[in-house]
Amino acid sequence: MLHVSLFKRNIMNINIKDLRFAYPTGLEALKGINLAIDSGEQVAIVGQNGAGKTTLVRHFNGLLKPASGSVSIGDWDTTKYSVAKLASRVGYVFQNPDEQLFSRDVLTEVSFGPRNLGYEKTKVDELVKRALALTELSEKTGTNPYDLSPTWRKMVALASIIAMDTPIVIFDEPTTGQDAMNVARIANVIAVLKREGKTVITITHDIDFCAENFERVIALADGRVLLDGPAREVLGEEETLAQTYVEPPQLTRLGKKLGLKEIVTTQEEFIKAVVQD
Amino acid sequence: MHERLSFHIKRDSVLHRLNPLTKLVLTLALIFLAFTFPWYWMPHLLILIAVIPLSLLGKVFREFWLTALKLILPAAGFLFLMQAFFQPIGTDVIFKFYFLDITSESLMFAFKNAMRVFVMVSAFTLFLLTTHPSELMSDLTRRGLPGQFAYVIISTLQIIPQMQAKAQTIISAQRSRGLDTESTFFKRAGSVLPLVGPLVFGSLVEVEERAIAIEARGFTSKHAKTSLHEIPDSDFDKILRWILFALIVFSIGLNLWLS
Repeated sequence: MLHVSLFKRNIMNINIKDLRFAYPTGLEALKGINLAIDSGEQVAIVGQNGAGKTTLVRHFNGLLKPASGSVSIGDWDTTKYSVAKLASRVGYVFQNPDEQLFSRDVLTEVSFGPRNLGYEKTKVDELVKRALALTELSEKTGTNPYDLSPTWRKMVALASIIAMDTPIVIFDEPTTGQDAMNVARIANVIAVLKREGKTVITITHDIDFCAENFERVIALADGRVLLDGPAREVLGEEETLAQTYVEPPQLTRLGKKLGLKEIVTTQEEFIKAVVQD
Repeated sequence: MHERLSFHIKRDSVLHRLNPLTKLVLTLALIFLAFTFPWYWMPHLLILIAVIPLSLLGKVFREFWLTALKLILPAAGFLFLMQAFFQPIGTDVIFKFYFLDITSESLMFAFKNAMRVFVMVSAFTLFLLTTHPSELMSDLTRRGLPGQFAYVIISTLQIIPQMQAKAQTIISAQRSRGLDTESTFFKRAGSVLPLVGPLVFGSLVEVEERAIAIEARGFTSKHAKTSLHEIPDSDFDKILRWILFALIVFSIGLNLWLS
């Protein structure tokens, strides 16, 4: 078991080499991106609207193909595989759950992805059960997704991707429009995926959420990588982040104002730093 | 992304600055003259003295001919062939093909009708190229066109591109869940529900939201509404409209009198 997971970890790296992409309108959205994301990393992508965040992650599962440069997922070059094939490696939760929910009940909806991937029925059942438990939907399996509140519909969308058991999971602005309870649920989902050794890539505007849940932060601006590194380093670069209209988290700014020696991003770090002073 | 479905090209020209109603009357005048004026060369003359100069005046010469030719050539060409072959008039046969024959009269007749269609389509193309749909509708609403009517026209123009964008997102979302939209027919046939479902649900929800949003702004209020966006209507516009209107009446009158 250990051997298998180690093997998987090695091959599911994301490699992006000099990626460029332009939309048919002529807008050049990505202007030469070089990135490597290792298996099991928790990465947040931040940046102003139009910086190229969504365009970038849509290359990871082949929805967009590079104009030049290359994107590979493990040993697969994305240009050589269909989106349906890449779906077995990269799960992608879209921003708006209403753009993907169609089934009569939550159970069928969540089983849609794993069934598409051609898993055996027992495996599908197990994956679905686990995904539903993780998203706290186990009580709601028979409900029509459209009878659920928007926050719970978001959880159904999350569950439907998690059930596909892909080594890489992408979330596009998971916390937008969610209440505190649901943000905590989503944070828990990410923590569990991390324990399972999965790569989680999240686009977010919620910089506090980003600080609390991600080890690595990539800031994009105007189709280029502006900053890339450990969350604490990137989120401390107040001036550079301002170029892409991102503000450091509240605690980081407070820490700076208080004149703390270290850059802090989370509550624990903040308290520790204050006590030390 | 939320581009409207319209031909409109934003430029600054005399034609663009005309009141939308004036341009509508101008379009109708061209069409009525082409179809009713009892002189053979009228449609041809209109193209030379009105359509071409107007396309230059509106600074849309290139776009106009590209759009117009794409729209017109198939239609006018088909009409020309049908009428040239099947119009049972004239005796001066100039071409014979089995039972089909072309006479010089039928050729002339076909040419005129093709030119009439040409004037009609090109006049409308010119109108659509230089008039923003919502400008036209707000001008017409100000003149008493029911708001509901204007809403139906404008929202249709807006909704179609929005639906296209939405459909594209849904397809992307479902493909990301392993839905095969590229392979065999049977696999693709099975993928209709996951694609159509969210589109229909989503559109219904949107319709309701739209209704609430416009009602919150007093859509069904009986009071006269003011508009932030004033559409200019100069004296020149008014005079031009009357002249054009008189031309239409004159042309129809002449046609009736001569027949």
